[in-house]
Amino acid sequence: MAYARRRRFRPYLVLAPALILTIGIFIPFLAAICLSFTNYSLNSSDVSFVGFDNYLSMLQSPDFWHSLWITIQYAFFCTTVEMLLGIGVALLLNDENIVARFLRIVLIFPLMIAPVIGTLIWKLITNPSVGILVGPMQLIGLGDFKWGASPDTAMFSLVVVDAWVYTPFVIILVLAGLRSLPKSPYEAALIDGGSAWFVFKNLTLPMLAPVLLITLVFRLMLSLQEFSIIFALTEGGPGDSTMSLSLQAYNRAFPFYGLAEAIPMMLFLWALVYLVSFILIGFWRRAQQRAAGVA
Amino acid sequence: MNRSRSPLAKIGKALQIFLLLFYAVFALFPLLWMFIMSIKPDSQMLTTTFIFTPTLENYATVLHSDYMQFFCNNLIVSVAAVLVSLVVGVPAAYALARFQFKGKEDIAFTILSFRFAPEILVILPLYLIYQRLGLYDTYFGLIWVYQLITLPLLIWILRGFFEDISPDIEAAAQLDGYSWWQVFLRVLLPLVKPGLVAAGLLCFIFAWNSFTFPLLLSNNVQTSTVIALRYLASDTVHYGQVAAAAAISALPEVILALLIQKHLVRGLSFGAVKG
Amino acid sequence: MASILLTGLTKFYGKRRGVEDVTLEVGDQEFLTVFGPAGAGKTTTLSLIAGIVTPDRGSVRIGDRTVDGLEPADRNVAMVFESYALYPQFTVYENMAFPLKSPKHHLPAAEVEQRVRHFATMLKIDHLLNRPIQALSNGQRQRTALGRALVRRPDVFLMDEPLSHLDAKLRHSMRAELKEMRGQLGTTTIYVTHDYLEAMSLGDRVAVINHGKILQVGKPEEVYFHPATVEVAQLFGDPEINMVDAKLRNRQATSVRVQALGEEWSLPITADISSALDRVTGDTVRLGFRPADVVVGGNGNSNLRGVVYSFEPLGTKSVLTIDSVAGQRVRALVDGHRSFDVDRRIEFGVPASSLIFFDPESTRYLVRSARTEGDD
Repeated sequence: MAYARRRRFRPYLVLAPALILTIGIFIPFLAAICLSFTNYSLNSSDVSFVGFDNYLSMLQSPDFWHSLWITIQYAFFCTTVEMLLGIGVALLLNDENIVARFLRIVLIFPLMIAPVIGTLIWKLITNPSVGILVGPMQLIGLGDFKWGASPDTAMFSLVVVDAWVYTPFVIILVLAGLRSLPKSPYEAALIDGGSAWFVFKNLTLPMLAPVLLITLVFRLMLSLQEFSIIFALTEGGPGDSTMSLSLQAYNRAFPFYGLAEAIPMMLFLWALVYLVSFILIGFWRRAQQRAAGVA
Repeated sequence: MNRSRSPLAKIGKALQIFLLLFYAVFALFPLLWMFIMSIKPDSQMLTTTFIFTPTLENYATVLHSDYMQFFCNNLIVSVAAVLVSLVVGVPAAYALARFQFKGKEDIAFTILSFRFAPEILVILPLYLIYQRLGLYDTYFGLIWVYQLITLPLLIWILRGFFEDISPDIEAAAQLDGYSWWQVFLRVLLPLVKPGLVAAGLLCFIFAWNSFTFPLLLSNNVQTSTVIALRYLASDTVHYGQVAAAAAISALPEVILALLIQKHLVRGLSFGAVKG
Repeated sequence: MASILLTGLTKFYGKRRGVEDVTLEVGDQEFLTVFGPAGAGKTTTLSLIAGIVTPDRGSVRIGDRTVDGLEPADRNVAMVFESYALYPQFTVYENMAFPLKSPKHHLPAAEVEQRVRHFATMLKIDHLLNRPIQALSNGQRQRTALGRALVRRPDVFLMDEPLSHLDAKLRHSMRAELKEMRGQLGTTTIYVTHDYLEAMSLGDRVAVINHGKILQVGKPEEVYFHPATVEVAQLFGDPEINMVDAKLRNRQATSVRVQALGEEWSLPITADISSALDRVTGDTVRLGFRPADVVVGGNGNSNLRGVVYSFEPLGTKSVLTIDSVAGQRVRALVDGHRSFDVDRRIEFGVPASSLIFFDPESTRYLVRSARTEGDD
């Protein structure tokens, strides 16, 4: 049966272009892995195989561990602030007053603007000579708050910018989740008589869990490998107070030509991101099924 | 949720609105400030805050400079990247939605995982490869690498839209006498048109915003996003012009964002959440 | 010529059985109803005939050609889907015209218009031709789906539960309309339903399917009065047929003693019944009798005793559920004018002519007494 055979191959034919592009993406990835085993450098022409040397020196280098710590800090702070703030604002927005309706439309803007542009705007705002925040900061006694210029406040400044850009992401998704909650379980609970906490714990949370999880996954994964915002605001400094893994790798590779040294770091980061996302997406799928059972 | 008119409820309502306004200021004021700075003349930049004589000279300067060339580059590369993704991604999304075959979910997850891959990881080897292949600093090179951003997004969003169409409709069209390809073009595509528009616009926005790829894989063929930052890093900074450049760069996406309001949720969550 | 022949059709969805070894013959211009509960394999059968799904084994012939290698578009089969599958972006007219504009048919615009209008008028939706289908009611959508299938003048009609999403009154009137249309068009049709009344009233023959296998094919009365197995007997009829185990003793040429429902009585039998019973090993059989045949109340025919368990008046008839002496529940359909109190002692009987005998192990039909004119 010729047409049965034709049918069986159809999915692969249709997917072919996408798969070709996918292979195109795998090639640099494989190349990266190969390179990590060499001493390739951007300013020397001889390349030799060095085995696991790069990996070993990475694990022994205090810079790597410091960067890992910075990366985790950054991801943790950003995700936590954005999730809490986002959920809070989403709850407030789940209402029909004038401010809510207006805000629902315009809050997307910080997210749509390039993060770099957003960082740029914040740099302008906090600029000591022309920044608008100078005055208010003086009012609350933080007149010489150095924002991105000081190691003590750099991380805080980054989190502020990241939160400004990405909180709308959380808000929009959580709000959509809240609005899609079915009414009937709540009506049943009203008749059966459940306390507000009971309703929240057994109805709202399980039904909202998939949305919360997927939002968490996206924010966590993206903040772990954030580059543009940090580069634009502090370039990893001052010193190395905000030198996340991405920035560390960039610095190794470009200004200092140590391409092969930079790759193991990035592979480590990628493995971390992949693993965590794999686990979390597993949670998400299970939460989805459970939510379908509740509602 | 009951709505009582008790004084406690009224205070609660007022508090709600106050908190929302607080966040609104946080979210919108920086944009407003950028706009204000962009129409403030350099001479009054350091001396005034809100009261000044507005001017368009910053915009004039930027628009007549070579900034507009970079703006066009950004436009070309982003539009082309989206078009490539559409041609490649729409059939792929359909295949993932409809066909049952081995490794389907694995392929889908792999495509999604591209979005999560650290940009630097890909850029490092790509830098070398591009140099060797002569793709460094070319339109083609950027369009190709932008697929990392646009393709997963497009495929996952459209997959959801295709899944929403009942397979009976395809069967009906086939029985009516149309070949599989004709069914795809004449029946399915019109039905996913809203998804195409939403996904296309969202992909365009993310491509437009891309910073790391053009920064490191291109030099003269540069995008406005990267150039705007270079402005700020230069020695004599005309803050007004920087603000104007930022505003011009941000304008397309603000407009597009208003257009895709309806499909935003689906788009942002890659189809995981149906708005 | 548009007869249909299915031979050994088998389709598994992974581990789940769609249909297995389905062999069926439909004559030219015959209206066959396929009846079975949800998940029985009805839609799978239709999809296999239409070519939407490819079988694991088996073959399909339509008319004098084997259609196994043909795409759905080439089989000249029209299908009305349970979900209607109307094109959401088109109006009623465009939906009905779509098949005629396809590369397969490619009719000139004038003829397309003429045909669409003809069938739209027949289906009484000609005033809706310019409406988008979102603006239609359920019944109107169903007619549009029907119209889209009719305009093609196909060799075969396949209908997948077309009436199941309509309310009862609409279903009733559509059934009558379908019968009339059938007379006018005379196209070979396979009509799938889970409603046994539809199956019996519409079909020239009925095919009973369950768990992916065909259980029986025959004229409606045949399936109702001579069900091939216990399962078929139970699928047909509402309220469900009563099935009890019975011990037979002392079998003579014209009578046998029956032990069932906690009682024992003498049952008159004929020669064919007796010879059929010869085939049973052991002395038990399964007896089936329809609730409508149960006689309630004393008039000599009622030799069984019981207590009323429940009584449901339904208008012209009422359903009476009786707890027999041995505890088994028996359902009876009684005239609507009678009424019974729960827990009341009662007498009932089952006429010999309404008993159906089934083999206890194979559950296959054995015999029943012949129906004579006027039997009911």
